[in-house]
Amino acid sequence: MRLNLSTVFAAGICASLAAPAAAQDILTVAQRQDPQNWDPVDTFLVAWGSVASNIYDGLVRRDENLDLQPGLAESWEVLDEGMRLRFKLREGVSFHNGEPFDAEAVKYTFDRLLGEVGGTGPQQSNYTTIDHVEIIDDYTVDFHMAQPDPVMLTKLAGYGAMIVPPDYIEEVGEEEFDMNPVGTGPFKFESYTQGAQVELSANEDYFDGVPEVDGLVFRFIREDATRLAELQSGAVDIMADVAFSAVPTIDSAGNLEIVSVPGPTIYSLALKTVEPAATADLRVRKALNMAIDKQALIDAFLAGRGQPIDSLQGELSFGYDPEMEGYAYDPEAARALLEEAGVPQGAEMTIDYRAGNSTFNEVAQALTGFFANVGLKVGLNPIEDGVFLNEIVPQGRTNEMYQFSWGGWTFDFDNTAYLSYHEGEKWNPYGTSEEMNALLEEQRNSTDQAEREEILQEIARLAHEEAYHIPLYNEETVYAVADGVEGFVPAPDKRLRLNSVSLSDQ
Amino acid sequence: MRAFRSFEFTAGLILTGIMGLAVILSPLLFPGGGMGQDLVARLTPPLTSAEYPLGTDPLGRDILARVVVGGRISFFVGIVSALGAVVIGTVIGLFAGYYRGPWDMFLMRFADIQLALPFILLAMTVIAIIGPGLDRIIILMIVAQWVQYARLIRGSVLSLRQSEYVQAAKSYGLGDLRILFVHILPNAMGPLVILGTLNVANNILLESSLTFLGLGIDPLIPSWGGMLADGRNYIQTAPWVTIFPGLAIMMTVLGLNLLGDWLRDRLDPLGQTK
Repeated sequence: MRLNLSTVFAAGICASLAAPAAAQDILTVAQRQDPQNWDPVDTFLVAWGSVASNIYDGLVRRDENLDLQPGLAESWEVLDEGMRLRFKLREGVSFHNGEPFDAEAVKYTFDRLLGEVGGTGPQQSNYTTIDHVEIIDDYTVDFHMAQPDPVMLTKLAGYGAMIVPPDYIEEVGEEEFDMNPVGTGPFKFESYTQGAQVELSANEDYFDGVPEVDGLVFRFIREDATRLAELQSGAVDIMADVAFSAVPTIDSAGNLEIVSVPGPTIYSLALKTVEPAATADLRVRKALNMAIDKQALIDAFLAGRGQPIDSLQGELSFGYDPEMEGYAYDPEAARALLEEAGVPQGAEMTIDYRAGNSTFNEVAQALTGFFANVGLKVGLNPIEDGVFLNEIVPQGRTNEMYQFSWGGWTFDFDNTAYLSYHEGEKWNPYGTSEEMNALLEEQRNSTDQAEREEILQEIARLAHEEAYHIPLYNEETVYAVADGVEGFVPAPDKRLRLNSVSLSDQ
Repeated sequence: MRAFRSFEFTAGLILTGIMGLAVILSPLLFPGGGMGQDLVARLTPPLTSAEYPLGTDPLGRDILARVVVGGRISFFVGIVSALGAVVIGTVIGLFAGYYRGPWDMFLMRFADIQLALPFILLAMTVIAIIGPGLDRIIILMIVAQWVQYARLIRGSVLSLRQSEYVQAAKSYGLGDLRILFVHILPNAMGPLVILGTLNVANNILLESSLTFLGLGIDPLIPSWGGMLADGRNYIQTAPWVTIFPGLAIMMTVLGLNLLGDWLRDRLDPLGQTK
């Protein structure tokens, strides 16, 4: 079986190089990172999501517009004021190994996620508001909650909630499952070569759109330039993780196309709000905000693929307030405010940031140029990731400004806001206010989405008034697609579900 | 002078001279230090604007100014670290070779261990722990290179200490220090000078590599390795961002190597006979 398939794959790759298409259509995707492990409970990597979203399904699925759609559950109800969620499951679905999907599989999945196995991975903590899952009949389950969780339905489309086959895992064991996953999704897992590639084949019985292509190959190529060269040479059909600086090159190539979509990730500079930093003064923090022309940064370093932001969220985030106005770019006013605050011309400040991201490295350098325009002498301090994340930020040992970039997969402002503004959180080493803490807790305890949205907007407004950060931009996720690939519509959450993509004959 | 007829000498002197002169004059030529940004004029191609003859980089900074000013850092790192390593290595080598005994044993085994460590790996580890910086790069290079000089000098001293003139000096009752520095050192200097010159070139390359890897100096300060790193992502659309600092590195290193070769021919007794 395996031998047979690899010949098929080899033929497919050859066919995409040579002009006339063979019987087999194989779509090849190149991405930077190899997630190394295919078990849903063991990962939080976007690189996992792009591949494994083709292998697994959750009870619900989030579409390209971030709306929830039925997945393995046909319908659901919220009962007992959010303390119980009832799901009606889809009938007649089976896992890739032939095992039937039913209520037993759902219960097994969540017992495993919330139990010992899940405890060894990073996903469990997202689902701790679930108390237990109860089987009502073969195709009905109840989720009993430990406390209401307004974001739980969205989270059920998340990595950790992907439904796994009970008999298969019990039979082959956890370690084998990590390397040979089985799900219900549009593609079946075939083979995986660590550090190189993973091969999937179409699931002809898929309940939600049988794949257009016969197989998928995900190749893991670390170096940006190499990945681009593979795309240019025709060995790759879709390239993920396109560097912004490569966008003009791809745009000018006749046979390649750039496809981009707003992503969850925002970039900002957090400000040190305690003495002796000059940024302890609110006027200075406002002045720093006014000194930056965000659109110019986006045009220069993101190839225009981003949106300026005034709070720590993009337009797609729940809690985004289109009415809110940020600090406009106004170097004159910034200089006046600095003078009023008694900051002398030529005063020195430093930006701490994570070394290794070439785009942000350029942005940071350009920021010092904008600060120089208002009379500040700002230096840069690139820091190795581990040191930055473990020693500098949580222990409050930063300079006046430090990088904060975050992307909550749920697209719910709660995720970012809580860990940047709530007392004692890792990304809030200098504290905010009692009022802020109260608001953050209030929205977490509410299940009324309209009320939550209002509170989240209030939080963003308060953070803006206190200028805790200099929000910069919301980055788009950029893909490059070769001619002949049709129907590729990436989702904002960076999960690539490729059953509707086809390869045309060329 | 016969020297001027040597191709190595002429070419080496011209290349190193041009770069050296530009570097020495850089504060007069480019008082702004190549730090000024002009986002509107980013990635201007060379020879298209009078203001930026060699074009601009992704932040709209003048590449000509940055190449020249960046050379200051490169020369400084190259020369200071080579000098430091020469001085430390020489002193250790002299004493180890002259006194022999357990200290010699200890120092040379230590040197062997040191030689077994790959430099870039060592540098990456140390910098990940203590953070990047110009001073740290220089210290790292000295730490990595003193061994070569120490072993070189020790070898010469081992043979020289047996020679008749040293024995004669001893029998006159001269102090050890005087014998080491006045009588032995000058006779062991030849290979040292050659190695030193070649290592200046080597160090310039190392500094560029480390800065390219993001382990070197402040990204705002122009340096050749940093400029190469800045241009890496633009190599297809704006190759000039990498070409000019690359050329500068090549000219300097080539020039220094030619000079080093010429010196070897002049100072190496075997080379002179040809």
